[in-house]
Amino acid sequence: MDTMSLLMNGFAVALTPESIMFAIVGAILGTLIGALPGLGPANGVAILIPLAFSLGLSPTSSLILLTSVYAGAMYGGRISSILLNIPGDEPAMMTCLDGYPMALKGKAAEALAISAIASFIGSFIATIGLVILAPILAKFALKFGPSEYFALFALAFATLGGITGKNQFKTLMAAAIGLMIASVGIDISTGVQRFTFNTLELFEGVDFIIAIVGLFAISELLFFLERHAGDGLKQVAINKLKLSPKDIVKVLPTSIRGAVLGFVAGVLPGAGASLGSFISYTLEKRVSDKDGSFGKGDPRGVAAPEAGNNGAASGALVPMLTLGVPGSGTTAVLLAMLISLNISPGPMLFQQNADLVWGVIAAMFVGNLVLLLLNIPMVGIFVKLLSIPPKYLMPIVTLIASVGIYSVSHSALDLYFMVGFGVLGYIFRKVDIPLVPIILGMLLGPEMEKSLRHALVLSDGDWSVLFNSGLSIGLWTVAILGLILPIIVGPIVRAKMAKSKAVSEDS
Amino acid sequence: MRINDRVFGMLMLILAVAYGWEATQFPVPFGGHESVGPETFPIMLAVILGISSIYMIVRPDPDEKWAPVAMLIELSVVVLSMLAFAWAIEPIGFMPAAALVVSFLSWRMGASIAKSLITGVTSSVIIFFLFNNVLELALPLGLLEF
Repeated sequence: MDTMSLLMNGFAVALTPESIMFAIVGAILGTLIGALPGLGPANGVAILIPLAFSLGLSPTSSLILLTSVYAGAMYGGRISSILLNIPGDEPAMMTCLDGYPMALKGKAAEALAISAIASFIGSFIATIGLVILAPILAKFALKFGPSEYFALFALAFATLGGITGKNQFKTLMAAAIGLMIASVGIDISTGVQRFTFNTLELFEGVDFIIAIVGLFAISELLFFLERHAGDGLKQVAINKLKLSPKDIVKVLPTSIRGAVLGFVAGVLPGAGASLGSFISYTLEKRVSDKDGSFGKGDPRGVAAPEAGNNGAASGALVPMLTLGVPGSGTTAVLLAMLISLNISPGPMLFQQNADLVWGVIAAMFVGNLVLLLLNIPMVGIFVKLLSIPPKYLMPIVTLIASVGIYSVSHSALDLYFMVGFGVLGYIFRKVDIPLVPIILGMLLGPEMEKSLRHALVLSDGDWSVLFNSGLSIGLWTVAILGLILPIIVGPIVRAKMAKSKAVSEDS
Repeated sequence: MRINDRVFGMLMLILAVAYGWEATQFPVPFGGHESVGPETFPIMLAVILGISSIYMIVRPDPDEKWAPVAMLIELSVVVLSMLAFAWAIEPIGFMPAAALVVSFLSWRMGASIAKSLITGVTSSVIIFFLFNNVLELALPLGLLEF
């Protein structure tokens, strides 16, 4: 009951005209960002962070704006999956399987509408899940001491590659690089300079927002150039929408199942939205594909993965808000936002910033409704924007990203750093080093080191304190499993994903 | 070919050693030694990076193809143009600098010269006024300042 009244307070925050405005702006921007191929949600949120920051928005407004962008990007990802057979972001991959065949059959508008409804149901159910689960987890997390936190951070890195992760050592390497970048600057607890080489600019360390925009946005631009992808791709024409209530009812059970599965996948460490949509799709296929119509343009095959990936997207916010440990790239970027607003996520967030958390959760409900309303009648506009070739769009996006970085501290030096990180990001992607653990390392580095120090100071330097409680042993076990399991299970899951994709391309 | 990973692993191994060595050279903090000093965590990181780069050298993944030399030169030119934009933003002003860099980028991405110029000029003017007048974030006027 306590939760209900807190949520109502949240709605009081989320339903102010200002918040609704930010939710709408975020939803539109997010859908656009998600729809443009190659400009995934992490990228989009990263570009907007410095803008929100330099506009001096209040923490609540900026979080509402960015969570709407996040939710919108998940909606937008499906547009290019259906019309171009190219997923706008990785989780939207499974939507291609039935979405594109539907579009080829001249049912593009129906596919878009059904996926919008499924996305709405997915996020809606998962947000309810978030409301129920987050306070419980936050209360539980209050039991964590410094050694448990240290184990938890280790777990976050170990599971970040996900079940489908290819090379665990590369994930580990990326995490180490990120943590190393975080260690640059003056050490907070002793005042010793570390890796600054006596350069004044490095005393405060490297700003992770600059790193995020550089690593994601600038490296993306370089990849676009290299692939000569400036002209964009041919898309399927869109027809007039003919959707009866019966069609919607038919996909309801599918969407609900997908939403629940997606939410669970999102909450679990290392699973993430891609797995959420994959599980939802395969399970739905097993449950309801009696006539073999999946993969040939079955509406249920569009609804299941969309509900799954939106469910997972909201689910991924649970560990991010309650433990301060994000489960995916985009939530890592949202965490960056929180940290730069001087809000430390974690169990205390629910006590110290209750207004903010519940405001944001309520805003997710509002944002979702906005997205549903936007996406059905206005889908034509988004489709038009999608047909702007990247050769005009990418330079403008790059410009906006640089303006954002520049306006934070009005220094050209930050822009040099951004370009530098862009080049680094390009090289990392060439050798298959994942970028998300680097970002996460930069974000969590200071906290991780602090908890290690606290734990060891309390135990007088006895390292066994790290494995002293049942809880921390449990966390370490999961961490080690998370590191080893993908080596065994990963190839199997990847083969299955590839197989279901191949089958749909054959037919 | 599996050269990329070998070379990159080698570089990272050098980084790990250099970083770890640098960490052992930190001055003793005021107040004497504690069980965990400023160097403890960095040394752990150096070990992890070292192990994973050795793994990368020993068991490299197949290479992703590098772009041909001509493309690499083009990419470097693009990177240089962005650095030039960063430098030019204050002395020359936001609008001219942005118009130039956006036109250049979209021309390199395959747009015709006329269309890239239109894109560059309109986007920089719109963004300038959006930022200065609507969002109230001052961008430098530079040469256009009278």
